[in-house]
Amino acid sequence: MADNNTNRKPTPMEALEAENQKNGMGLKARRRIGNAVSYVVLILISIVWLAPFVFLIFQSFEVSSTGWSSRVWPKQWGFDNYVYLFSANANFNRWYFNTFIIALFCCIGQTLMQIAMAYVLSRFRFKMRKPLMNFMLILGMFPGFLTMIILYTVLKDLGMTGANAVPGLILVSIASSGMGYYVIKGFFDTVSKSLDEAAMIDGATRAQVFIKVILPLTKPIIIYAILTSFMAPWGDFIFASYIAFGNPNGYNVAVGLYEWLGTEQISYHYTHFCAGGVVVSIPVIVLFLMLQRYYVEGVTGGAVKG
Amino acid sequence: MATVVLKNVKKIYNGGVLAVHDFNLSIKDKEFIVFVGPSGCGKSTTLRMVAGLEDISEGECYIDDVLVNDRPPKERGISMVFQNYALYPHLTVYENMAFPLRLLRGKEKMSNDEIYERVTDAARILGITQYLARKPKNLSGGQRQRVAIGRAMVRPSKVFMMDEPLSNLDAKLRNQMRAEIILLRKKIDSTFIYVTHDQTEAMTLGDRIVIMKDGFIMQVGSPTEVFDRPANLFVAEFIGAPKMNTFPAKLVKEGKKYHVECFGCKLPVEGEKADELAAANIETMDVILGVRPEHMVFSEKAGDGLIPCEIAVNEMMGSEVHLHVNTLDNPDKPTSLIVRIPTVGLTTAQRQNLVAGTKIYIGFEGKVMHFFHPLSIEDQVLQNVAARKEKGMSAEGIAKIADMGEEKARDLIQELIAKELLADHKGRYVVTPAGKVEAEKIKDTNLLYGPGEEAAASQANI
Amino acid sequence: MAKNVSAIEMLGLNRFQRFGYNFLNFFRLLPGRIANLFVKIGLFFKNLGIKTGEYFRNLVVGFKEGTWQTRLTYLVMGFSNFTHKQIARGILFAGFEVAFIIYMILVGGKNLSMLGSLGVVARQIDDFGVVTYVDNSFRILLYGVLTLFFIAALVYTWSLSVKQAITNQKLDEENKKIKTDKDDLHALVDRDFYKTLLALPAIGILVFTVIPIVFMILVSFTNFDKDHNPPINLFSWVGGSNYGELFNFTAGGASFSATFGEILLWTLIWAFFATFSNYFLGMLVALLINKKGIKLKKVWRTILVLTVTIPQFISLLYVSKMFGENGIVNQTLIDWGWITINNKIYFWKDPNLAKVTVILINIWIGVPYLMLMVTGILMNIPADLYESAKIDGASPVQQYFKITLPYMLFVTGPYLLTSFTGNINNFNVIYLLSGGGPSDINLFKAAGKTNLLITWLYTTTVSDNNYALAAVIGVMVFIVVALISLIVYNLLPSNRNEEDLA
Repeated sequence: MADNNTNRKPTPMEALEAENQKNGMGLKARRRIGNAVSYVVLILISIVWLAPFVFLIFQSFEVSSTGWSSRVWPKQWGFDNYVYLFSANANFNRWYFNTFIIALFCCIGQTLMQIAMAYVLSRFRFKMRKPLMNFMLILGMFPGFLTMIILYTVLKDLGMTGANAVPGLILVSIASSGMGYYVIKGFFDTVSKSLDEAAMIDGATRAQVFIKVILPLTKPIIIYAILTSFMAPWGDFIFASYIAFGNPNGYNVAVGLYEWLGTEQISYHYTHFCAGGVVVSIPVIVLFLMLQRYYVEGVTGGAVKG
Repeated sequence: MATVVLKNVKKIYNGGVLAVHDFNLSIKDKEFIVFVGPSGCGKSTTLRMVAGLEDISEGECYIDDVLVNDRPPKERGISMVFQNYALYPHLTVYENMAFPLRLLRGKEKMSNDEIYERVTDAARILGITQYLARKPKNLSGGQRQRVAIGRAMVRPSKVFMMDEPLSNLDAKLRNQMRAEIILLRKKIDSTFIYVTHDQTEAMTLGDRIVIMKDGFIMQVGSPTEVFDRPANLFVAEFIGAPKMNTFPAKLVKEGKKYHVECFGCKLPVEGEKADELAAANIETMDVILGVRPEHMVFSEKAGDGLIPCEIAVNEMMGSEVHLHVNTLDNPDKPTSLIVRIPTVGLTTAQRQNLVAGTKIYIGFEGKVMHFFHPLSIEDQVLQNVAARKEKGMSAEGIAKIADMGEEKARDLIQELIAKELLADHKGRYVVTPAGKVEAEKIKDTNLLYGPGEEAAASQANI
Repeated sequence: MAKNVSAIEMLGLNRFQRFGYNFLNFFRLLPGRIANLFVKIGLFFKNLGIKTGEYFRNLVVGFKEGTWQTRLTYLVMGFSNFTHKQIARGILFAGFEVAFIIYMILVGGKNLSMLGSLGVVARQIDDFGVVTYVDNSFRILLYGVLTLFFIAALVYTWSLSVKQAITNQKLDEENKKIKTDKDDLHALVDRDFYKTLLALPAIGILVFTVIPIVFMILVSFTNFDKDHNPPINLFSWVGGSNYGELFNFTAGGASFSATFGEILLWTLIWAFFATFSNYFLGMLVALLINKKGIKLKKVWRTILVLTVTIPQFISLLYVSKMFGENGIVNQTLIDWGWITINNKIYFWKDPNLAKVTVILINIWIGVPYLMLMVTGILMNIPADLYESAKIDGASPVQQYFKITLPYMLFVTGPYLLTSFTGNINNFNVIYLLSGGGPSDINLFKAAGKTNLLITWLYTTTVSDNNYALAAVIGVMVFIVVALISLIVYNLLPSNRNEEDLA
């Protein structure tokens, strides 16, 4: 009988008790250690992730005769770089203005195109719907730069290159933007179809359903669309540089700043670049922090339905 | 005046699935019609075709003698309450109810004052005045339901439609709202089409009930008609709770009298039923016998014409007791019956005795019997295949349903294919022309009140 | 092993048996599936043939039985519409026909006729030495393609116009109401609202994506490069010889084919590491931040997300210079005395180090995005799953492997695919960090070692002006992406069970 007692498996309840005893008061302590480790890791991660930006800001205040710096901590602090940015010598004002205009038009145009596409594909059932979606999927598999040269030629014929690159850039980035409808459509799909039906029975046309019911209900994703399409032009530079080809008046900030880091100019413009980077980032960051909630919603939704 | 007439209406989905077969119905002005049936029977589809939310594949739909097949919903003069309420989450209750009014144009255009008046009137009737400024998400289920009804009410319309309006409510609220709908109906005073899967709602609300299954109309009639004279086994089992007991029996004609043989007992057919059988000139045959649980009685002692049973489950419902019993005639395959006994008539001792395992005796009178054509195995298979629509089923599945060996099931399938009732499709079996299954289905009918008579009645209603 | 195992029997197999079964089954079913595909393609074309035949037969019948209005519509598009008071439709049809005719006379006809040769004479120099440019292959090809699209559009609108004429005639005969302009307008905001909404995006995509892609695919069959560069020179069709270069291995290491192979391999390796390093590290960071007891969750998240916010050309260019020869990293290490000025770390000059560096910096760029996404999904995992797992006695690690990971993989399966193909085309990270370098003279045109196909495409276009080969690379990128998508999509759990539903 005694043997039986020692050999038998402990019941779950007993096992739990034993576990508790083993851990005893250690449970809390263990968690505390675990948390401490987590905090250390998080702090390390934060340092790694933030360091380049901190360096960027430091270097933007470096006053250097050559314009090159390889030190994190400036020898001499000053606003010289910022003063230069907005001086007449630099084209930075112009680039900044160009980019702002592009971003403004893009965020209106692209959002409208994407919303229209997403609404149609989410709510209407017509014969060409599936073929259209598959077709756009296939089109999306071609690399974007493939068509760079022909678009350049077309824009050149339209007089939208070089110094006039801004309208050209706007046109190209809005024209095909309907293909980026996925995330918005995914969000539209989550809105119950019976709302559309109820509105139609209530006497609304499809256009009224769209404007009075669907749009107000999908505000978060529309803000997300506006936000992303406003932010994208600030970093777009491949196509922009190809179209503006050597004419600084047609540059956006990305092209201009990129050029400053070219082999010939880097030793003169490096610290200017840092200052420019800070100036470009600030409005984008502010905007982003204000609308962060919507951004997170869009990112998550896009991944789940993508 | 608002009549609704559906003529040979069909719904065929992409891929050829028939959701509604040849639907014919004429709804009178101010009539309260209920479409009822299990899920997937096509009742909602039919309603949505009338509303204009689904295209009508074939046939014609008239509202007030106007062909509306190609009219958008807003031009059909209808209003509708949805199952999930479909309230606009971004608008307040007031704006939700005013929404249809603000969309009116031309002659019907309403001023703000008129809209205010109409909305507050409706809100008063429904008792939701204090919630008018709230958003739908701050309302309970019942309140949302009222708002949805209110929104449908304010819109000037000829036909008022409700698509399972109560199914998202809890049981208690559902009963309360059901009563309110009856009261509301008098105030709204228009033609109603109401869809539900709940036979109680259908029975209590409808002037006439349309019972549907697998896209077919099984019976159209008043609550009394469908309860007393079910057209077929499906209607018989669907209407009434707990459901009607049905079991195979033999109907025997002896001279001018009839009796049935079942569970080793011989029970005479009496009253009107016997007269009707004689009038219809029914000979001796195998039938499915149906008896409603409330028409059965029990006894603790054996007796003539009483079926020996053993209690399996005793459900105490309060006002009555539901006894689930197994017959003892065949120990290998007992038949399961339900008996409904009012609690009032039971002594305390009896109530204590009626527990699982107790042997009791069940009886019923000759005038409460319903007779149905028995279903052949073929019918069973076909019905099951039809119920599964395009997916078809394997010999394995058929063997399970029809309670036969797989070998035999395969033979049966071959036979059915030879009769062109099924078509081979990659090892699965699907129904070919819908019409054939339909033809087979008519076999499953009430011996006395078959669809022929019903169709005539329906015609007369027009 | 590879025989039919029922779903129930599957449950009894262990993980390896199941994998083995699925694996073998995949190949067992493969021939059948391929055969099925061909049958489907065959059927598709058969149906297409039958349908188009029927379509045109109807048009012929329509002409035979047509009234004079209908018959005239076969010549003058929209005529029937005018006679039936459908003025708006009539103007659109007739206007399109007129525009087409004018276009053909002015531009289309000439370019279409030269599409076969792509021009005969590039330029002429007259006696005074003045150069006049005659044929421009680029424009001939461009406007030739455009003309083909125009013709297709005309055939479509013509058949549309004829069909409407036939319908109008039929409605006349049946004495039914014909749709008016007002009806059309109403429909465009109601039943046909989708046409209104689609019009602009569809035209945009057609003009700025479809036609250019068709054009570039055609360019890949020409010898359009800096020696055949209009308007100075003509270029001409060379058939499939550019693609032939891809399989021409005789020229050795510096050949186009060998370079393509090497860059393709690195592109795939890069895409794999870039996708999965971000995915798992992002998940780890998200779990860390979401851990119970960690405070200031929002602060940690915002710190990380800053990298996503700042335009990539700033953050990436800056980091690229940081790791440069004279950048902060080397300078700091020298200051600390860890290295000397003579043995700096050449992050961008050593090919292997450059490859590792871009992958690591990509983690810095990509993890925050993944962290955000994962956080959102983690919150969607039903809490009762964890509760029931705890009651069943699962440890946190087991919970992760049995619940979190499978759920994540299931939900983010499609995302992983798009992320993988996105990384194949991840121009920014490579171009801004290493510029594709360091270049290797043993490769075709001294291509860079960290080049992806897409950056190679860019440099081939911009620096070498070899447009034909760039087009070939572009088409190959498409084929690679399409193949991967097709295979992976079929293996994703979210669509795998479609066939098993009975």
